Amino acid sequence: MKKKCLSTLLCAAMVAAMLTGCGGDKAPAADEKLVYWSMWDAAEPQAQAISKSIEAFTEETGIAVDVQFKGRTGIREGLQPALDAGTNIDLFDEDIDRVNTTWGSYLLDLEELAKANDYEATANAGLMAACREVGGGSLKSIPYQPNVFAYFYNVEIFEAAGVTAVPTTWAEFLDTCQKIKDAGYTPITNDNAYISSMFGYHMSRLVGEPATEEIVKNGEWDHEAVLKTAQAYEELASKGYFSETIESNQWPAGQNTELAMGTAAMYLNGSWLPNEVKDIAGEDFKWGCFSYPAVEGGVDGTEASNYGAQVFAINAKSSKPDQAFQLITYLTKGEADALLSEMSVGIPADSSNTAWPALLTNVKPVMDSLTTRYPWGAGAEANADMTPIIVENFTKLCGGSLDAQGFVDAMKAAGK
Amino acid sequence: MKKNKTMIVVFLAPAVIMFCIIFVYPIIRTILMSFFKIEGVTDALSKWEFSGLANYIKLFNTELFRISMWNIFRIWLFGGILVMGLALLFAAILTSGIRFKNVFRAIIYMPNVVSAVALATMWLQYVFSPKFGLFKSIGTLLHWKWLEDFQWLDPSHLFLALLIAYCFGMVGYHMLIFASGIERIGTEYYEAATLDGASRIQQFRYITLPLLKGVTKTNITMWSISSAGFFLWSQLFSMVVSNTQTITPVVYMYQNIFGAGNSMTERNAGIGAAVGVLLSVCVVLIFIVCDKLFKDDDIEF
Repeated sequence: MKKKCLSTLLCAAMVAAMLTGCGGDKAPAADEKLVYWSMWDAAEPQAQAISKSIEAFTEETGIAVDVQFKGRTGIREGLQPALDAGTNIDLFDEDIDRVNTTWGSYLLDLEELAKANDYEATANAGLMAACREVGGGSLKSIPYQPNVFAYFYNVEIFEAAGVTAVPTTWAEFLDTCQKIKDAGYTPITNDNAYISSMFGYHMSRLVGEPATEEIVKNGEWDHEAVLKTAQAYEELASKGYFSETIESNQWPAGQNTELAMGTAAMYLNGSWLPNEVKDIAGEDFKWGCFSYPAVEGGVDGTEASNYGAQVFAINAKSSKPDQAFQLITYLTKGEADALLSEMSVGIPADSSNTAWPALLTNVKPVMDSLTTRYPWGAGAEANADMTPIIVENFTKLCGGSLDAQGFVDAMKAAGK
Repeated sequence: MKKNKTMIVVFLAPAVIMFCIIFVYPIIRTILMSFFKIEGVTDALSKWEFSGLANYIKLFNTELFRISMWNIFRIWLFGGILVMGLALLFAAILTSGIRFKNVFRAIIYMPNVVSAVALATMWLQYVFSPKFGLFKSIGTLLHWKWLEDFQWLDPSHLFLALLIAYCFGMVGYHMLIFASGIERIGTEYYEAATLDGASRIQQFRYITLPLLKGVTKTNITMWSISSAGFFLWSQLFSMVVSNTQTITPVVYMYQNIFGAGNSMTERNAGIGAAVGVLLSVCVVLIFIVCDKLFKDDDIEF
């Protein structure tokens, strides 16, 4: 009997121990800290700048912060389940669209906090407006690390080719390409990761972004804009304006071995590009930037592009929203914002930080000129079921192994 | 007897409870989820919208999903033939008493120790590079123009490139399993066969192969499981956005659950669950076929 009792007790103790082991690690100290889930990997310059600023913030305010660098994948896969499970997270960050649309229902409305702290006095008005737009009319996120998607080019190649002004129309763009080709350089390169953007931007210039998105989502490949876009790219390909290896460029081959190495002149990408290739391109690489050119008879001009930012947001269930907003303000203003901009070669969020990193000097006029905001890829990637098919066929079109009609036919066949 | 029953219950309970929580519950939940439209994978039941067989119908009508199934089949079949063939060949050579056996075995197994991310980067950015790739250099050296100009990474050949790179890393693992199987076979069979005048090839054909049935079944099972869950290499061979040549059902599932690329795309964890159910059915079918093909207890040694 004794033995039985002992066995039962031991067994119960074992089960209890196992179940305790499964419980959360809610140490009392963790509750007192502000918990910030970050989208950066700890080794990235952004994470290093943020870590430094958080140290200074804690020293200044006495507010301890538990910052967890989850990385893009970590936060994309883990944030929502963690929030659903009630994990103690006060603030987090990610791309403006993902935070406001995918995780929109978990966000605290920040209008009151922003007003009480006079946050917008030195904030980028355009980005604040974009945050309100994607937040359904009210402010639920605070932008930082702004970015813009445009053509990035090697100024020295443009100069060597005798190109004196950036192209603003398609005719000027063709002329620029020809001059660059004549000077012995490859006019345009790209990689599999971004190539569909060229399709999206051309389509959106022709018919606007909402119409492009509709075409891609509903498979309206008979639309004349699709053939027109394909014809424009067939012309670029037939004139030899693309890199010879464009069909084989698996990211980051094109940006690293062609653009950064100085053999190719232009690449349609985001303002994070100079930072990504700075170790290859070297300090003396002169970056230029221009918005995707306007096309004849099109509805959008160079004033439209994808611009946005990473954004901070506060968990609606946070018990320390004031402290979280205090941290956000600290990180997106003054010295911390300048440090982040400097270390990551990024655009500052604080409008009083007027000094942009030297590599991005030519990006400022483009950023300032934008009034219409496209979503990512200008709608080309709006239908996940079609993106790989667009990438495959558009790559073939740029490489010359498919003509314009062949592209349209391939898209129609895949959409069936 | 009564005492024993209580003790059985008490001792089994933790394992059974854990098994139910970790295996049975997720299986039932996944099957259930596949009949619903669910935006977030952890959404509460109240947010699920019943959609019947809509998820399965959508999958069968989606070209990209069909492509992903075709890719996984190609990886399983062609990759399987290549990997099993090479693994068996290397295992037979290594167990034939050659010198420096351990060194060769370590070399062939090495890719399993190296991170897949590093391996894929090496293949993508160096070996297959159209500018300074290893294959291009070999082509130049041997004056083989076709190899020099071969575009391994373009949309027409990316699958081949992926298959070669992936199989390169998998041969060592399956070779070890084959080698351990061959080493289990007693030397007396080979001695007797040698006395009877059988050549090395005949010995391999009539002794080694039949006695490796069980091990072959294990290898095919392991290969099928790793093929069904093919994800990392697909992601590494098409960074940021997926590709028609490399997309697999698990990548498709991921995109439906967590969104695709940098764009904000529609999410439906129900479709993800349906992909999971279909893959499970495929794996079970393969097991049944394997069981029928390789009845392993008919030879004892």
